[in-house]
Amino acid sequence: MKNTYIPFQMKVKKIYTESPDRTLKTFDLSYINEEDKFDFLPGQFCEFSILGKGESPFGIASSPTEEDILKFTVNRTGSVTNEIHYLQEGDIVGIRGPLGNWYPVEKFKGQDVVIIGGGFAFTTLRSLLVYMLEHRKDYGKITVIYGARNSDLFIYKDEIEEWEKRDDLTLHLTIDNPVKGWNKLTGFVPTVVKEVSLDPTSWCVVCGPPIMIKYTLPVLTEIGFPDEKIYTSLERRMKCGIGKCGRCNIGSKYVCIDGPVFSYEEIKKIPEAL
Amino acid sequence: MIQNLRTEVKKLLKDKKVDIVLGWEKGSLPLSSSPLFIHKEEDVDRLIFDETCRNNLTTYLTKDKRKLGKTYDKIGIVVKGCDARSIVLYVVEQQIKRENVIIIGVPCNGVLEKKKILQKTENKEILESKIDGNNIHLKGRDFDLKFPLKDVLCDSCLTCRYPDAPVHNIFIGKPRKEVDIKDEFKNVIDFEKKSSEERWEYTKDEYARCIRCYACRNVCPACYCNECFVDQNDPQWIGKTPEVTDSIIFHLIRNLHVAGRCVDCGACVSACPVDLDLRIMNKKVEKEVKERFDYTAGLDIDEKPAMVSYCENEKQDFIMG
Amino acid sequence: MIKIKKSEFNKFIENLQKNYSVFAPVTDGKATAFKKIKSSDDINNKVLNTKRSPKEIFFPQSEVLFQYTEKGMEVPKREEKPFAIWGMRNCDTKSLLLLDKVFGEAHQMPKKDMYKDPYWKEKYDNCLVFNLACNEPLSTCFCNWFDGGPFDKTGSDIFVVETDDSFIFEAVSDKGKKFLTDCKTTENESDKEIKKIEKLKETAESFLAEKEDISSLFSKTKEIWDEPIWDEIAAKCVNCGACTFVCPTCHCFDVSDEGKGNKGKRIRLWDSCMFAIFTKEASGHNPRSQSTQRVRQRVMHKYNYFMDNYDEHLCTGCGRCVVVCPTNLDIREVIKKILNYKNEE
Repeated sequence: MKNTYIPFQMKVKKIYTESPDRTLKTFDLSYINEEDKFDFLPGQFCEFSILGKGESPFGIASSPTEEDILKFTVNRTGSVTNEIHYLQEGDIVGIRGPLGNWYPVEKFKGQDVVIIGGGFAFTTLRSLLVYMLEHRKDYGKITVIYGARNSDLFIYKDEIEEWEKRDDLTLHLTIDNPVKGWNKLTGFVPTVVKEVSLDPTSWCVVCGPPIMIKYTLPVLTEIGFPDEKIYTSLERRMKCGIGKCGRCNIGSKYVCIDGPVFSYEEIKKIPEAL
Repeated sequence: MIQNLRTEVKKLLKDKKVDIVLGWEKGSLPLSSSPLFIHKEEDVDRLIFDETCRNNLTTYLTKDKRKLGKTYDKIGIVVKGCDARSIVLYVVEQQIKRENVIIIGVPCNGVLEKKKILQKTENKEILESKIDGNNIHLKGRDFDLKFPLKDVLCDSCLTCRYPDAPVHNIFIGKPRKEVDIKDEFKNVIDFEKKSSEERWEYTKDEYARCIRCYACRNVCPACYCNECFVDQNDPQWIGKTPEVTDSIIFHLIRNLHVAGRCVDCGACVSACPVDLDLRIMNKKVEKEVKERFDYTAGLDIDEKPAMVSYCENEKQDFIMG
Repeated sequence: MIKIKKSEFNKFIENLQKNYSVFAPVTDGKATAFKKIKSSDDINNKVLNTKRSPKEIFFPQSEVLFQYTEKGMEVPKREEKPFAIWGMRNCDTKSLLLLDKVFGEAHQMPKKDMYKDPYWKEKYDNCLVFNLACNEPLSTCFCNWFDGGPFDKTGSDIFVVETDDSFIFEAVSDKGKKFLTDCKTTENESDKEIKKIEKLKETAESFLAEKEDISSLFSKTKEIWDEPIWDEIAAKCVNCGACTFVCPTCHCFDVSDEGKGNKGKRIRLWDSCMFAIFTKEASGHNPRSQSTQRVRQRVMHKYNYFMDNYDEHLCTGCGRCVVVCPTNLDIREVIKKILNYKNEE
């Protein structure tokens, strides 16, 4: 029997500082043992641990198509994330995963997809986007709406530039308040979602801070997206990641095993989800 | 007495002098009571006051982020002497405004300690009980006991100097006045006489049984920090397991945090599910504060507490180095 | 069925210890708990419900998941003898079945193996459970609400009744059958004994308070999820963890690292949904910041959510939480209040 509580070791291959205030860093991890390599799909997460300091769950930001690495973007907020930020290239960390479910990429095949993201929660959305772009012909029109408090707080800025150049992808970037030199959209994500014209026959994936999700979902309903075609990823405090420790539950669902990806249809049935 | 209390409370509710009244009702177990939150006049008849009313209800004024105080403008609260002293503490420490609480004092003759009762019955279940003057009569499936009430009162009550609410709006019944207690700190003095090894052994054995449920902290009126140090993660001050050294640190720091603030209401002792001796250390600290600063917590709204006032000729031998 | 005279009890336990690490109810200082015994003298057969529940034998309050050094990670080796638990009551043996759904079977999961808990399974799968009938249930017992009872055998390997001079054993599981067949120091019971047991059972059941019909509890809890009744129920809760820590079915835990430099360990330890920090995220956001939400969580987990996932209530009616609650927030009254609650409309 596999002991799912024991992490396997990975090496920090590359570190990117995502924001000038240094609160956001991205870590590319490489496998040390070939047999640790696992299959996963966009939306799944891992428990990232630094022995002696603790463990925290993070969505996998790399796409399954980027085979040699796992990518995580970490916002510095608590004791574990602090320690993660102190890591240097070459350091060893512990990983448990892949945990949880994934965005229904199978259902998206041949269909238009709208991706709506906010702030540093763009991680699993990056995974999804890169995955779909790798299998570009499998999907219809891809639209991305990505909002951040200010332009510094977008993550994966280099890639955003690349994505902007592509003609098989519509990208809307928005920041909360107008600033000199910013010539893209301004306004909160829910408002922007209303303004850019979205086709409600598409599938839609929303991921961001809880407050953004809460106000974006009703807007999508207003536009005409059916509940079962809207997906979001929820965040809760987690420890075990395998449905035992009991803290990530919302109603009878456990975010770690029944989620983190839920359809709006499911969410409406779960008390306290939003 | 109880009729007068109910009449007064009804009147307060009727005249809209209060939005809610905190008191006690009969509990679901033998010799137990339970906190009662009275919103409507018709609930007043459930109100009781007797030897089973051991909960210090003032703790609800600060619990859950002071929700009660934020929800209601005027809160009536029935108090024993020790409970009233907790309110004084809150007022002094600016946790509540004096004008927002209507303090209803009741004459307290001490409350029952269920742990002492279970010792008497050798942990056998009580099915019937009767308090008859100074005696208590207990019946179970195979025992029938009668003994003096004071044998099973809380330790705090046996050395209680201030059974009447020192501050109140209304007092029901006859106050007992200050009680002349000669050996208030006897247990501490006896403990101090032991060798340090003996004291360590005792303390270690007691706290080894702690399950870190924090019932002592959560019922304590003086423990109202928004975030307790044991709950802090960054930095994490102490280990979270019931490892005895960590448990001792938790209890000792709690003792020091309530120094000059503990009113010896005995709530922690009663709440502990594993019957730890939580009183001895608090009483020790209380004795130190009394001897060094001549301060007793919770008696006077206008007096500055020992730990926030300073005077030059205070004994300072406890400061090391 | 076989019987062992009380005078033979010591010998029986001694024999049991040859192949098992034996746990039994003992008086430990002022409290009672299930502990590993040295000899049968440690056993207290009189105690009905130990203060601490026997879940800690399989799921200790703190347990090392692994130790680490610069060389790598290692799961601590456990003792080889399987566990035998003497003197469990029906409410506790049933709780093991419930916990096994979470830790052992992981039956709702697609890739089952990954979700099985090796620490639980190692201890539980090979254990031998002796369920001692309750001749004198307490007034706080409400096992009958959950279809348990003082003489119910669910969850045990061997069912034991204590009579005036003997212990009478009945095999319940295959494991139990095998054990009793191998057992030599015994004699068979007589009709007289069977009558004795019937009588004891009758008396025991007469001690229990009236059974509450909880068949609508699941639907009712769901119905009232959003109602103000929870404020009323939760008002007196002070959010300590006493109820959850003595509960034989509560199983939420925390994971914490203790170590310095390259050496240390990762531990799991009991946690409680009553604590505000239980769900508080690093960002400060807390989905259950209010006491009412936490009390509702505990009640809902027991009588709704668990039912949703595993078709059972996460409660066996042992009454420990009723006894320890510092504010006498009696779960039986909570259940009754919920069942009798009438929606405003």
